[in-house]
Amino acid sequence: MGLGKSIEKLDDYYDRLAQNKVKKIKPDHVDKVLSKLHGKEDSLREEIAATQKSSKKERLEAKLAVVQAQIRRGEWLREEIKTDAAES
Amino acid sequence: MIRRLTVPLALALLVFGFWTTPDLQEIVAGVAIFLFGMMMLEDGFKLFSGGLLEKILSHATASKARALGFGMVATTLMQSSSLVTLVTISFLSAGLITLTAGVAIIFGANIGTTTGAWLVAGFGLKVDIAAYAMPMLALSIVLVFQSSKYMRGLGFVLAGMGFLFLGIHYMKEGFETFQEHFDLNRFALPGVLGLIVYTFIGAAMTVVMQSSHATMVIIITALSSGQISYENALAMAIGSNVGTTITALIGGVTANFQGRRLAQAHLVFNVVTALVALVLIYPLIYSVDTISAAVGIADDDYALKLAVFHTIFNVLGVALMLPVMSRLIAFLKSRIPEPASDVLTPIYLTEATDDFPEAAEEALRKELGHLMRNSETVIAEALNLDLEALIKAPEIAALVQASRTRDPIDFDTAYDTRIKPLHAAIVEFASRMGRGDKDTPEVVMHRIHELRDGAGRIVRAVKAVKHLRRNATRYTETDHGATTALYNAIRSDIARMLVEMDKIRNEDEDRRSALWLDEERVQAKRAYKDAIHVTEALIRDGSLTPAEATSLLNDSQYGYEAMKDMIEATKRLHVETEEGLDEVERILSLDDDEAEEMAMNTRERED
Repeated sequence: MGLGKSIEKLDDYYDRLAQNKVKKIKPDHVDKVLSKLHGKEDSLREEIAATQKSSKKERLEAKLAVVQAQIRRGEWLREEIKTDAAES
Repeated sequence: MIRRLTVPLALALLVFGFWTTPDLQEIVAGVAIFLFGMMMLEDGFKLFSGGLLEKILSHATASKARALGFGMVATTLMQSSSLVTLVTISFLSAGLITLTAGVAIIFGANIGTTTGAWLVAGFGLKVDIAAYAMPMLALSIVLVFQSSKYMRGLGFVLAGMGFLFLGIHYMKEGFETFQEHFDLNRFALPGVLGLIVYTFIGAAMTVVMQSSHATMVIIITALSSGQISYENALAMAIGSNVGTTITALIGGVTANFQGRRLAQAHLVFNVVTALVALVLIYPLIYSVDTISAAVGIADDDYALKLAVFHTIFNVLGVALMLPVMSRLIAFLKSRIPEPASDVLTPIYLTEATDDFPEAAEEALRKELGHLMRNSETVIAEALNLDLEALIKAPEIAALVQASRTRDPIDFDTAYDTRIKPLHAAIVEFASRMGRGDKDTPEVVMHRIHELRDGAGRIVRAVKAVKHLRRNATRYTETDHGATTALYNAIRSDIARMLVEMDKIRNEDEDRRSALWLDEERVQAKRAYKDAIHVTEALIRDGSLTPAEATSLLNDSQYGYEAMKDMIEATKRLHVETEEGLDEVERILSLDDDEAEEMAMNTRERED
């Protein structure tokens, strides 16, 4: 799973930002969300390590895949926001 | 009957007064202009709500001392303890601040309100205040016509101040003219009788005008023109403190149990302070004289001495009440108990939050949480499951499999009592906030719509489970082989979702993210695909009858819809509201087709 619709959503955000309809995203905002996702990633890893039952393990691994995809998107977004901040 | 006669009687009294004593007109017009200024000032500050005011209030109540300071500063700036009281009641009703913080704010507001007396006695009477009023009014109108909410707010505040000054000017002039023809001082009452009578007059004036500030201005202007005696003026100032509790009591009527507790705390504080001030009136007068002499206030400057008195007795009240504040709160909690949490009526939706959009939004969010908890219980009971046992269970599927006994739940009654009234109240509240006269900011209104949508989704989820309930009970009460296993799988998936909802709710707010719900969305989609996949395989090998297969396919769909709607409603409950953060969440979250793609990917890997 790549960036999916995130690029489209970021473009939409920049459009609305240009119209003063939204507040500017700061790198801190992305970091805060990322730290929550990393927290979830850590707790899922711990839960997977403590789980014996295979079906439960599979469910947890599927959840881990989702949170990792969101983390990748978050890291990409942080770079975009930083670049934008440096340019402006 | 009495209520109906009040307005005509008041008008008749005024007309009669104007007819017999034309000089009264200027004084009463001054009071009217002053009260009009107060209204404009309050309207102006209300325009700063919907963001700024709420942010300041929520940060200023972290400790008792800060809340006390906030009450003092806010009342000093706004010159209206009534507005501070109403904001506090609304925030308390919405669960944004604690009762302790609320009571501390009210205590602080009582000290803050004394600055009004200083303003009038020290400035209003000593300079030509009307000279300041005119440019303020002229400048304000330019700002009032601006499109920016905050500029309009500033315009109303400036106009309010202008009218306050103008009102004071007319009252002052009115009393001076009045003095030439009448001497109200002949009604002065010395001693204890005077104290009691004039305390009641001060209280009654404040109840009628709904403003202790206005009462203080009348007292000071009348005192400075020699129309009332100094001792009687002190008694009236004490009475005005008692009379001002009417604002909180009226505000408390439309508030929830917390708002009513605060209104009573306000009443207790002011009555106790007034009683102490009356008992200690002579030591207080002595203290006023000593302090006045020390700071250089002339012995015959009674207006300023009244301001000193007003400050001393309010500070004394706070000093007396602060040490017993915990006991006062414990008393109020026992007197007005919190309603049981699983009540059938809304807990947080009250009219007290109507004028403060962010408090209203928070109240709505909390009520949605209340509806969510009720719906989780109803959904679990409808599937013959015990929610509390599920939350504690180490193995959910095993507990679900063992839960076969039909629970004697009357689903329709449960829906009509625990779901429908709350949903109706949420829809009504959201619609009320959307009315033009509420002036709710667009961004807040958008979130209110999202919360209302969340409530609708919860209702849909409960209804979907209602459809599922009959077959789920039928096929899991007794063993029907593969069909029972598949119905137990649907029940287990819903049970896991309910347990996750509970986990997310109880997670620390600083750690929790609405993005976590995306995992649940993918999980729900994956479970649904699994159920369809297995059912189709069983149809092909003849393990299911056509009737069983049809029921399973339909009920898998109901189960999936219930999970999806509950997850979406939970997402609306925990979504980030801070601007910037909300956009990050939106950009990172998965769309429906992305959730579907991820569900398919994980299934393919397992296949």
